[in-house]
Amino acid sequence: MRLVIATCSVDYAGRLSAHLSTATRLIMLKADGSVSVHSDDRAYKPLNWMTPPCTMAEAGSSWVFTNLKNETLTINLEAVHLDVSEELGVEPGLLKDGVEAHLQELLAADPTALGEGLRLVRREYPTDIGPVDLLCRDEEGRAVAIEVKRRGEIDGVEQLARYLERLDLDGRLRPVRGIFAAQRIRPQARVLAGARGIVCVEVDYDELRGRKSDDLRLF
Amino acid sequence: MKFRCERDVLLDAVSGAGRATSPRGSMPILGGLRLGLQGDLLTVTGTDIDLTISVEATVDGKHDGLAVAPARLTTDIVRSFDPGAVEVEADDEDLTLMSGRSRFTVRTHQASDFPRVAAPAKDATVSGISGLSEALRQVTRAASSDDGRPILTGVLIAAEGAGLRLVATDSYRLALRDLPGVSVLGEGQKVLIPSRALNELQRLLSSAADETTLRLGDHDASFAVGHATLTTRLIEGDFPDYRVLIPSGYPNRLVVGREDLLDALRRVKLLARDATTPVKMALRPNSIELAVVTNDWGAAVEEVEAKYEGSEMTVAFNPTYLIEGVEVVTGEEVCLDTLDALKPAVLRPVGSDDYLYLLMPVRVP
Repeated sequence: MRLVIATCSVDYAGRLSAHLSTATRLIMLKADGSVSVHSDDRAYKPLNWMTPPCTMAEAGSSWVFTNLKNETLTINLEAVHLDVSEELGVEPGLLKDGVEAHLQELLAADPTALGEGLRLVRREYPTDIGPVDLLCRDEEGRAVAIEVKRRGEIDGVEQLARYLERLDLDGRLRPVRGIFAAQRIRPQARVLAGARGIVCVEVDYDELRGRKSDDLRLF
Repeated sequence: MKFRCERDVLLDAVSGAGRATSPRGSMPILGGLRLGLQGDLLTVTGTDIDLTISVEATVDGKHDGLAVAPARLTTDIVRSFDPGAVEVEADDEDLTLMSGRSRFTVRTHQASDFPRVAAPAKDATVSGISGLSEALRQVTRAASSDDGRPILTGVLIAAEGAGLRLVATDSYRLALRDLPGVSVLGEGQKVLIPSRALNELQRLLSSAADETTLRLGDHDASFAVGHATLTTRLIEGDFPDYRVLIPSGYPNRLVVGREDLLDALRRVKLLARDATTPVKMALRPNSIELAVVTNDWGAAVEEVEAKYEGSEMTVAFNPTYLIEGVEVVTGEEVCLDTLDALKPAVLRPVGSDDYLYLLMPVRVP
């Protein structure tokens, strides 16, 4: 990643022509070959940019970027105030909040969020029809199978019921009780869970992560 | 089953009952409408288990019977017919709808699979409620749509003095409406009814005389409006103690024309392109200034004439919540009482205590 703060003007020539008159701007040259020109506002949006693949050629104090369509972005540098390069390495990618895997990870780290005295036996505990998300033991040593979903729907309850049926065949675990955990549980799923003897627990993702909302609330 | 009726009669019945169906659920039968014919009485029922709507219609009955047909498809077919007579015939597998030169045959569900509809106990309370439509419009909007907190998705209906009180809150706002003189519930009695059901009830009331009969069971409530009956499960649990949330007095009072405020709010809200952008309200002696400022889109500012008594300050609100509150205040002027920029404000009609809308401000830098 190369960051250049420079007083420059910019000309784009392609399907249309655009000109940025002289001002001080941030020029961002990324390892993927892209270039973007930013002012000190508009959050993440550049004033002008060229996406890869494109090539860069230096001609005196001008940088000319050309893409496959022969469109050009020409940056005319008048004064360079900062020019730094840094190797950022491989980007691990965005982890979206609330994904089931992260919920499962958080609950595995602290199963007591689902019930007092619960302790983890194993994540992804195998059954012959697939793994149940968490297998725990309660205070009295009884096995508890836990299915974790972001949104609690009927399908998830049915899935857990099938796991419970299989786990109950194992004499070391029997009788296994079930907990259906989700950020939100639909009323129909609650009814079905109640009918199958499965406990529903709603979990607050922010709370699990130790975060508090900044929203003002009545209660 | 075989009957004949006018298109509009059938359309009212299937579209009304169809609103309770659940076409995208995991049980296909819940996307169906149960059509039952006895003599000349057609009863069309839709349900998603929690909510059931039945609509009765008088038709020219030929053969009694039952059928469960896909709600959306059947409604679309009936709606597509020109006004005039429709003939409907059903056997064990198909429902046939005929009008003019059109003939549609629709596969049906097994009628015996249709869930048994819950109905309140026979010794339920039976009462007439007038003025309910406006009260529902004022209150249901403050209920939460977040199934994660089921209690807050309901509207509390409670006996209050010699009348009835409706309360809903989603924790950011709270709407309260009193219906003095409406003695439906016994002293101290209260029920929590899903707001979704009450929104459907409001829709039924808007197309009928504003008179409802309530039958209340231990776990269900049923409202009869005209030819329709809406039955809903009650929500079990304790509603938050809302009384402690309502401050006893306010040092600052704004009185402003309702329409002027609404128009200005709707204009400046055009700049609030996401759900988190607040509208700032600068309170001054003879006017208020509404402002929405965003980095990405720009800014909108509008001044509205108003009477304000209290400390000059700026308070910010979620513009949607504020508009939804102002919309349902009755009268030409609304009153906004405030404590400070971070404490709940109260919207209410001028000169009436029957309605209040408590709204939490938004924290701004």
